[in-house]
Amino acid sequence: MLSLPLVSSPDETFSEDLKVGQEYTSPGRTVTEMDVVLFAGLSGDYNVLHTDAEHMKGSLFAERIAHGLLGLAIQQGLASRGEPATAHGLLAALKWKFKGPIRLGDTIHVRSRIVGLKRGAEPGQQLVTVERQVMNQRGEVVQEGETEHMLERRKP
Amino acid sequence: MSSPRIDTAVAPSQVYFEDVELNVPLETPGMTLTAAHVTLFTGLTQDVSPRDDGFVPDLLPLCISSGLGWRVPRPPLAVLAFMGFEWRFLLHLRVGDTIRSISVTNTKRSLREGGVVIEERRIVNQRGETAQAGKLTLLVAKRPKP
Repeated sequence: MLSLPLVSSPDETFSEDLKVGQEYTSPGRTVTEMDVVLFAGLSGDYNVLHTDAEHMKGSLFAERIAHGLLGLAIQQGLASRGEPATAHGLLAALKWKFKGPIRLGDTIHVRSRIVGLKRGAEPGQQLVTVERQVMNQRGEVVQEGETEHMLERRKP
Repeated sequence: MSSPRIDTAVAPSQVYFEDVELNVPLETPGMTLTAAHVTLFTGLTQDVSPRDDGFVPDLLPLCISSGLGWRVPRPPLAVLAFMGFEWRFLLHLRVGDTIRSISVTNTKRSLREGGVVIEERRIVNQRGETAQAGKLTLLVAKRPKP
């Protein structure tokens, strides 16, 4: 269910309104060949896994797959359009697993759930822990993990 | 007539699981983070979070470090799959900062097909301060049997 605004982002990035257990579903996005080519150029990661269609015909995956980190970067963008505040906070930590390939043409979305809220080191800062699952169009979890974000409390 | 098949799988210059040396630090060249990187990355990820000028998305240096990792005095690792990682963001980088990455493999575990390699990596800025650091788990191919 995609009930949240699909492209707008909230300008408030404060943490008072967050509660453990809140869940969000992002919009979907189709990962294209152009995404992979651009990411290879930007990151400098030209591994054959992502760039050599002929080599990959004989591989476990049978075709080129998206960079794992491209999937991570795209889900962060998707989350910024799904989670009202958490995704906008600076990242403090990540634990991430690449469970399966993202193939060119796959459509992914992110499901996230707030699992922890605690005070940060500085006054007014809060650390928000979010569990995220990246799913493809077949409902398979292709990536999952936990992100920790640093948010400011609303100014008094 | 079909064209001759080029077997890129046995390209000579790859580091296979058996060749990975433990506890040998590898340092990459530097890369200056520019507004162009940020614009391209933000366009690619479609991150709509409001940011100030000069802000570098936290995941961008990590992504660049994976490409920098190819530019060390060692042939590229024969990576079959990136399995996962744990990462901490210690300093938030700005446009104009120059990063490089320093990595060391400290664990190898052989499997039937390939082997697992755990690499500790840190990204440092132009002052040598660690901006991001963590542990990456990679599945690496074994040397093809002759």
